[in-house]
Amino acid sequence: MTTINKQPDLLHRFVSTPYVFGINCGSQRVDIQSNDLEVALGVRSLCIRRQREEQSTITRWKLIRDGSAPSDADGELIFGHGLIRTLHAGRGTILIYDQERSELLGFVAPNVSARKLVTSLIPTLIGSAPARSDLPAFTNK
Amino acid sequence: MSLVSIDQSALPYMAELCFAGADCYLTTNSADLAEVLQQLSLSLEATDSTRFMMQVVVDETSTEQADNPHFRGLHHVVTASFGHTNVFVFDLLRRTLSANVSSEVAKDSRFWKEKLIPITLGILGSALGLIPVHSACLESEGDGLLIAGASGAGKSTLSVALSLAGFNYISDDWTYLSLRDGVIVAHGTSAPVKLLPDADQHFQALAECSPHISMNGELAYEVDIIETFGVAVECGCEPRWLIFLERVLPPGSEFSKLSSSEARDYLTSNIERLPSQLDKAARNRDQLIEAISALPCWTFRYGGTPQFASEQLVKFVADRRHEVSA
Repeated sequence: MTTINKQPDLLHRFVSTPYVFGINCGSQRVDIQSNDLEVALGVRSLCIRRQREEQSTITRWKLIRDGSAPSDADGELIFGHGLIRTLHAGRGTILIYDQERSELLGFVAPNVSARKLVTSLIPTLIGSAPARSDLPAFTNK
Repeated sequence: MSLVSIDQSALPYMAELCFAGADCYLTTNSADLAEVLQQLSLSLEATDSTRFMMQVVVDETSTEQADNPHFRGLHHVVTASFGHTNVFVFDLLRRTLSANVSSEVAKDSRFWKEKLIPITLGILGSALGLIPVHSACLESEGDGLLIAGASGAGKSTLSVALSLAGFNYISDDWTYLSLRDGVIVAHGTSAPVKLLPDADQHFQALAECSPHISMNGELAYEVDIIETFGVAVECGCEPRWLIFLERVLPPGSEFSKLSSSEARDYLTSNIERLPSQLDKAARNRDQLIEAISALPCWTFRYGGTPQFASEQLVKFVADRRHEVSA
């Protein structure tokens, strides 16, 4: 058997996310996880607002407040290749939007407020994505 | 705000590449990058299970050098950024690497050879059925010898000494292992051999070289093993033995058998834990670790020169072959 707890987590994949919300947006269940209450509440409000405005629903959210990330303020880059789009704000804030799996994941640097995250960065990332009907088929070989 | 969206029709350069047994289909908008990667590629292995896509957009307006890396990962996606422009996104479910890089990084052969290709194999490896193992690998008469050990144990100097003693060189630091039809296969990359400055006491060929600061900040010789030592290189082999190297002060040498469970613990402790989204990849990786740890494993403690250690290992391999033939 593998000795899992000895294995390194260099990518910070397994940061615990004690703030968990499950909300219903229309017929869809939305799961929100974060290690930062302000971020979790902000995303929850964003989901409710988007549902009221009849915008597409992202069903899984996992956002990590990343205390060890660099807080540089270099420009923003949105990078996409159809199925996945990422937003890099400085080097420390990285948001990942997988349209096909309807997931939004990311790390938020200490210098980015929850307010900026939900009012600016996430809408910019989601808004830059093409319509789902334009996406190529998912191939998970 | 910069917006880069990969459009396959805007990536006219294509190439089929192979790195450490993993086949890579590259598309890019840069002829320079396609050429750099083709020079680093080994011959194709042509197995679908280890194929991945690499899509690279080169921003010709940016001359940003590769900065210190910043890695993060969640679920099936891993990102690596080397500055603002140089961004790499690995999708382990779809076995894809998408990247945006500056024109400087596109042309920087050393960056791809020493950093990006090993990083890509390390990150996508679990999705491709490859495990990076912190070990050197050498081959003789079809038999592969994996030499694992912590940094500073002497893997690289011993690799050079064994190559000079007639073994074929495969790798000196990281070896990529996979299962092909139930058989373990080991591959290296074309990365240079890295030797600490005191290696010039053991290898005269280094007299014509100078150490320099390597990418991890260490002062070291980083040399092409064929050009510097004129030894034979193989791109892959079937490993027969796994040796854990331990350097001790008193001169001498000792081999002692190591259990499979100790070997498994070592291999497992060196690899990243995978998230539940990658369960299938984790199960395949566990199978591969089981197969590797079932190899005959030994601890080799030695004190003395790399040439002395090499002589002991040459004798060890000859004895094991004799045991099999007897």
